[in-house]
Amino acid sequence: MPDNTTHEPENEERTVATDGGRSDVEREKEIDYLDVEINLLKPGTPFMRDHNRVILSGFALWAVIVFGPITATRLAPGVMTQTIPGLGFPLHYFLIAIVGPGGALLLSVWYVRKRDKIDEKYGIEQIQAPETTQTDTSSEPAATDGGVDR
Amino acid sequence: MNGLAFTVLSLIGDTSILLQGDEELLPEGLNIGFKPIPAIIVIAMMGLFLAAGVFYKVADTSDMWVAGRSIGNIENGMAIGSNWMSAASYLGMAALIALSGVYGLAFVVGWTTGYFVLLIFLAAQMRRFGKYTAPDFVGDRFNSDAARAIAAVTTFLIGFVYALGQARGMGLVGLYILGDPGIPGLSGYQAMMIIFMVITIAYLSLSGMLGATKTMVLQYVILIGAFLIGVLVTGWTAGYSTFLPQLEYGALITELSSEFYDPFAGGSYYLWVATAFSLIFGTCGLPHVLVRFYTVENERTARWSCTWGLFFICLLYLSAPAYAAFGTDLYSNEVRPAYGDPGMSGEAGDVIVVLATQLAGLPTWLVGFVAAGGIAAAVATVAGLFIAGSSAISHDIYANIINPDATQRQQVLVGRLSIVALGVLTILFSLNPAQPIAALVGFAFSLAAIVLFPMFFLGLWWENTNRPGALAGMSTGLIVWLIPMFNEGHFQTTPWGIGFLETWMPAIGSGLIGVPVVFAVTIAVSLVTAEPPLETKQMVRQCHSPEPMPKDKTAADVVAEKNGGGPTPADD
Repeated sequence: MPDNTTHEPENEERTVATDGGRSDVEREKEIDYLDVEINLLKPGTPFMRDHNRVILSGFALWAVIVFGPITATRLAPGVMTQTIPGLGFPLHYFLIAIVGPGGALLLSVWYVRKRDKIDEKYGIEQIQAPETTQTDTSSEPAATDGGVDR
Repeated sequence: MNGLAFTVLSLIGDTSILLQGDEELLPEGLNIGFKPIPAIIVIAMMGLFLAAGVFYKVADTSDMWVAGRSIGNIENGMAIGSNWMSAASYLGMAALIALSGVYGLAFVVGWTTGYFVLLIFLAAQMRRFGKYTAPDFVGDRFNSDAARAIAAVTTFLIGFVYALGQARGMGLVGLYILGDPGIPGLSGYQAMMIIFMVITIAYLSLSGMLGATKTMVLQYVILIGAFLIGVLVTGWTAGYSTFLPQLEYGALITELSSEFYDPFAGGSYYLWVATAFSLIFGTCGLPHVLVRFYTVENERTARWSCTWGLFFICLLYLSAPAYAAFGTDLYSNEVRPAYGDPGMSGEAGDVIVVLATQLAGLPTWLVGFVAAGGIAAAVATVAGLFIAGSSAISHDIYANIINPDATQRQQVLVGRLSIVALGVLTILFSLNPAQPIAALVGFAFSLAAIVLFPMFFLGLWWENTNRPGALAGMSTGLIVWLIPMFNEGHFQTTPWGIGFLETWMPAIGSGLIGVPVVFAVTIAVSLVTAEPPLETKQMVRQCHSPEPMPKDKTAADVVAEKNGGGPTPADD
């Protein structure tokens, strides 16, 4: 959707095709995040709404993958302990030991790709470090955190 | 704080009692004794780590703690994997599955799937906050040195409890490779544990996080290589599997004793859920895991490296149950029945990975290679833990609270001294560990889940969480964590033994009760007290802005700029 192919994330003029009213992307551009309330249950901007939808649906799926098999085994032990033909695994064992970790990995890939897409939609580009150089952070701990008074 | 000091004191008091017992910790069936080739492998490997440590030797605090924020995607993923895969994963995981069947799988699930929660809720936001350590986050987010101190003490405690399991692993595996060196007054296990802990500390105090990050990649390659080659060759030689033992062991499961696969033979449904819950949210609260996200250049890298990390972790976690199945079958056939009385001992379980390769008749050098992987895992994790623990002391307590004018030199010195202190404490308490590796590590996870995770989560996702809320929540959390620990006697020789508590709030799964309690206390206290200052809220908001941030900037810097270069929130 965005026609963002240049490396100028700061360019305010760049717009996307809209359908009459202002698009999410346009509204997003006018927002200063330092003025938006942060509350997981009340996303304040179009970007956060999109992102939260992904986060919360991912989390719900995750909960099913993680706690679903053992709960099902508790409720219906007969069905869940059957041997899977071919593999030889008891069903509950397979769902817990293989599908659990594997599912979380697939969900993670799904999430990062989804999040990359959202970034793309809103024209967000991460800053890449220039070539590795001597990092000039030698005094940072003291500068950012020092001098705390109580 | 007094309560905590008391705990530490009573812990030290208990050691002297523990030291009097002189039971030998010898795994039955394991062929103990000096083996030249495995010894060379281990010595060469440790030499390599030390060389890398010396090569990347640092004296600068920024390099020491966050590797100059210069680490990339896959490299960081491997470091996450290596940092994560401790002796508890390499050895303890298969041990638990072998000893307690399906209940042991709660550890496989807990220690992998937690990364997804970390990824969606914390990784990138933490990166944007831009602090050096977990206690730094807590201290700056809640504008409180008391909160910073509680977080730092918790971090130190986690490092310590966690390292106990690693030391036990080093001792047991070292015993297989080098035998009993015959140091007077020490058993073989004790001598080996001390030797390897000393090497780890020496290596760590030479290098810092930069050395550790580079070395961790090396350690990951060695440990995953050893683990995968071991399971592949064991499965092949013993005739269990061909090319994919991670799936082929399925056919073996129902041939083992029912203890191995009966869903609730090793622990109740409640215990399973409680354990997995604690491990998952503990993962999200572990300081030495979170600090890996500070080492990357931007949030996208933080997210992708988290996913890569989970991939690298899954390689091992999908293989560990196969090891457990092979090991249990081989042990039952060649040593004695794995279940019943006496059954497999905890010590044998803790080296089942090495034991399996040995019982399958693999050549000694290959068994030694697998054993070396276990040592690499333990060393890598102790490195990460001790860095997190020592920076909590030197950076968060010493430089921020005790001596705000500390020079870099002083900070690094205090950091090194606290590494040595952690090492000595760990050695003392590991002389006669009462619990298997994974259980010891599990306690550290409960602590991280209960005390730190709610602070990270609420701190990043609800801007109205305030200082009194955090202080009330964290103190409640510490108490909630300590109750089952005392009840089950993990800190003292005479447990309280309240049965109801043991059933519903087991130490290993106390997060299931503790996390919601701490959330409730933090939210309730935050609601009835004044909202946090605007600058603090803005800092939280900055963590959620999609606007890219330069890698050397923190959320506090951005807020200070917005407010005309005024004081940062930590200063009010």
